[in-house]
Amino acid sequence: MPASATNHRQNFAKALEIAALLLIISFIVLPIFWLALTAVKPQEKAYTTDILFRPTLDNFEIIFSDTSVLINEGTERERGEVGRDMLPNVVNSVVVSGATILTAIPLATLAAYAFSRYQFLGSGVLLIWILTTQFIPAIVVAIPFFTLFRAIELFGSPLLGSRLGLIIVNMSIILPYAIWMIKGFVDALPTEIEEAAFVDGCNDFQILFFISLPLIRPGVLVASVFAFIMSWNEFLFALIIGREMRTMQVALMTTSGARGIMWEQMAAAGMVVMAPIFVLALFIRKNVVDGLTMGAVK
Amino acid sequence: MGYQRMRKKRWVPWALVTPALLIIVLTTIYPLLAAFYFSFHKYKLRSPPQFAIQIGDGGLRIDWSLLTLDNYTLAFRDSRFLNSLEVTFWFTVLSVALSVIIGLGIAVVVQKGGRLHSLTKALLIFPFAVSPALKGYSWRFMLNENYGIYDLLIDSLIIKPINAVLAIFNALPFVEIPLLSESIVWLGDRFWALFMLAMSETWGWAPLIALMFVGALGSIDGQIFEAARIDGANRLQIFFRVTLPLLRPVILIVTMLKTIFSLKMFDQVVTMTGGGPVRATQTINYYIHQVGFVRGLDIGYASAQSYILVVVLTICAALYVSLVLNRD
Repeated sequence: MPASATNHRQNFAKALEIAALLLIISFIVLPIFWLALTAVKPQEKAYTTDILFRPTLDNFEIIFSDTSVLINEGTERERGEVGRDMLPNVVNSVVVSGATILTAIPLATLAAYAFSRYQFLGSGVLLIWILTTQFIPAIVVAIPFFTLFRAIELFGSPLLGSRLGLIIVNMSIILPYAIWMIKGFVDALPTEIEEAAFVDGCNDFQILFFISLPLIRPGVLVASVFAFIMSWNEFLFALIIGREMRTMQVALMTTSGARGIMWEQMAAAGMVVMAPIFVLALFIRKNVVDGLTMGAVK
Repeated sequence: MGYQRMRKKRWVPWALVTPALLIIVLTTIYPLLAAFYFSFHKYKLRSPPQFAIQIGDGGLRIDWSLLTLDNYTLAFRDSRFLNSLEVTFWFTVLSVALSVIIGLGIAVVVQKGGRLHSLTKALLIFPFAVSPALKGYSWRFMLNENYGIYDLLIDSLIIKPINAVLAIFNALPFVEIPLLSESIVWLGDRFWALFMLAMSETWGWAPLIALMFVGALGSIDGQIFEAARIDGANRLQIFFRVTLPLLRPVILIVTMLKTIFSLKMFDQVVTMTGGGPVRATQTINYYIHQVGFVRGLDIGYASAQSYILVVVLTICAALYVSLVLNRD
């Protein structure tokens, strides 16, 4: 084959590859880019595919302001009439996700450490059982807890539609997940240091708290980030158990009114939902694959 | 694992494990048992249920007449439930196939070194940050037939060029190929709504699956590809004869995992299609939610349906777990 033909073929392959890469990039980025763009679009431009406009923060202002005020003002932001103040929803999301990981992660860490470092009667079976709880469909968990929480009152209000109720139900997903994930990190830690500490006369708990925990802290942090993302993005429980105590995921639905969804508001609310997770996702970039498959793919 | 101190204090691991186990039992075993129990009862939210197990003056009493199989027999006569099984099946097939194939494609392209390659690789994490509920809304917005960006792109980049080519053929005598419609209402069409629902799922998953494949590809010894190249294999041959067989175990695990997630899909149906048009995208989870919490408020029937889902998922989970365990 003459040299120039080979060159041509190589150039063609190269061009094809770059085209493929650009296609992949646009496939991935377009929905996020479009959402971000719509969030800062003025209302009259939101229902067009124009990309030239004067960016505005109006949409964020609307979703964080009390609608009754807007209606009373008789503003031209008529479309904003059913928009509502989403600050309480943000607070709900933060409190629920925060409390979920603050409860789940310490318990999961202790359990994961025990599963990794001790062999006790039934530990293998228990571990597999914990893994399989991950495959229970959320709706099966939601139905009995819905009826239970409807009947239980705490401090004069039913657990149904409360933050506590949602936190409890969230445990069914987060806790098993976190145990497996943290166990992966403990497994990866060599036992020599712990053995040395044992020889030096430390008891089990001294070893756990003063030797092991500080060493697995980075792993626990990664697991916490995952758990936070999972409970932040959780929708089914928030819808059925959280109900009127809307988290941000459910509050996205409140951007729709008589005239359908107000997309510019939905986009702004979407940015609020997405932004913190975006930042967190960057921290756990390298762990995502293990996090999704519990290390099954390697 | 298991150095000498482990044997000494048997209570230590139990002390560490028990709090977590208690909560897991409460939040997973309790609902599993309760839903099972509910599923054999007439139990609607509006009227207080009569349970078979009664605790009265005479102690524990079981009233067998209150137990019924009606909820299960109803399920298999209920055309809407059967429809939801069918929808879930097709959604799962579509979304798993698209996610794995596109994910594999992305991985193969991205895997090589190079600046643009690593930029793309870094971007693969992006869709992970978008919650399923938001994903559903944003796709619905972008597919809008009047102002959706996807609608615009599909029309101008795919449909119009194809029609232009078809028009050339149609200029020939005796040839009349119908042109593609340029005004498809994506979420108003039975097929396209389900397809786009699967595409939105693919958008979220294909990049993550690609990341898994990139990791697996990276752990394959490069000399294998080199040897194939020296033996005269071209790119396609290398891909189908070398890469694919080597990736087989990972592909199996990823397919199984994605199948499980697809079977449980719920969020996007609510925010993207609302189950429509005319139930064309009502997945099992969505229909159970409708039956239990929106329309019938029939807890007994919803429980029975979700138990059917549990059985399906248990089979998948058993397959997945055995696949994972057999790898080591």
